[in-house]
Amino acid sequence: MISKIINMAERMKDEQDRLLESMFESSPIADNGFSRSIVRRIRRKLWIRRLILPAAVLLGGLVAYQPLAALIKTLYPLLQNITGDFLPSISGSLPSLQLIVTGALLLAVALFSLNMIED
Amino acid sequence: MAWGEDHELVAKVVSTQDTQAFGELIRRHQSHVRNFLRKLTGDFNAADDLAQDCFMRAWDKLHTYSGSGSFIGWLLKVAYTTFLQSKRKSKRYAEILEQVGHVSVVESRTHTLQADEVTDLDKFLAVLSEEERAIMVMSYACGLSHREISDATSMPVGSVKSVIFRGKEKIRTSFDIKDHQHG
Repeated sequence: MISKIINMAERMKDEQDRLLESMFESSPIADNGFSRSIVRRIRRKLWIRRLILPAAVLLGGLVAYQPLAALIKTLYPLLQNITGDFLPSISGSLPSLQLIVTGALLLAVALFSLNMIED
Repeated sequence: MAWGEDHELVAKVVSTQDTQAFGELIRRHQSHVRNFLRKLTGDFNAADDLAQDCFMRAWDKLHTYSGSGSFIGWLLKVAYTTFLQSKRKSKRYAEILEQVGHVSVVESRTHTLQADEVTDLDKFLAVLSEEERAIMVMSYACGLSHREISDATSMPVGSVKSVIFRGKEKIRTSFDIKDHQHG
């Protein structure tokens, strides 16, 4: 009710209000590709945003490959000893070092790609 | 394709990042936003650049639109913020240039209108402060209510009313508008 009264009060315009309204009135501006250019900018931005994360993961993976491989190489004999002690039957079937690192990287890239497609 | 109300389009954009729906929102409101910024800056090219920035910002901030007021009110708030930020940025830039001694390089973005380009409205707007100009344009050119202007400018409704009153008084005294005439 109060808001209605306020709106009514706002609508009670004097001559100067009407004069100002006519002075401020302007003809509509034609779109002429304005909206299309913004939509194009937004789509580009979306694609860049979607590509940045997988690209960063890939790049990070490539950079981290060597130190990661060295770390696993150090831990690998230890891992074989542990599994050999506790589970002698599977110690022979452990995947190779390179297979583990490549698999981990592929998994990370696949997860991010899936996330990107879902978006 | 038949599109629904603004609120429906906003919901669609927020939930599915539908760029086509956002394109429709731009098509509907670009004229208002560009006219608002043109009146504020007095420079058509700068206003259109700001309008582009405004819609880009609107895309990022669309989830903050609660739907309680009109969408154009919210959009003009974004446009006004974009305008103020750009103004601050160019002021800072001018200060830096001034500090390093490039005073002459500083060029205002608002171009000076030629004598034959100056309309009555330009004369009216020239006597108003930036804030008064923005509020008067929102009120008289865009038809926003005092409440919507209050939301857009983050000012209390009472202050909005007094700014409009002050603006009208300035115009009245500067141009000697009596009763139903101006000039």
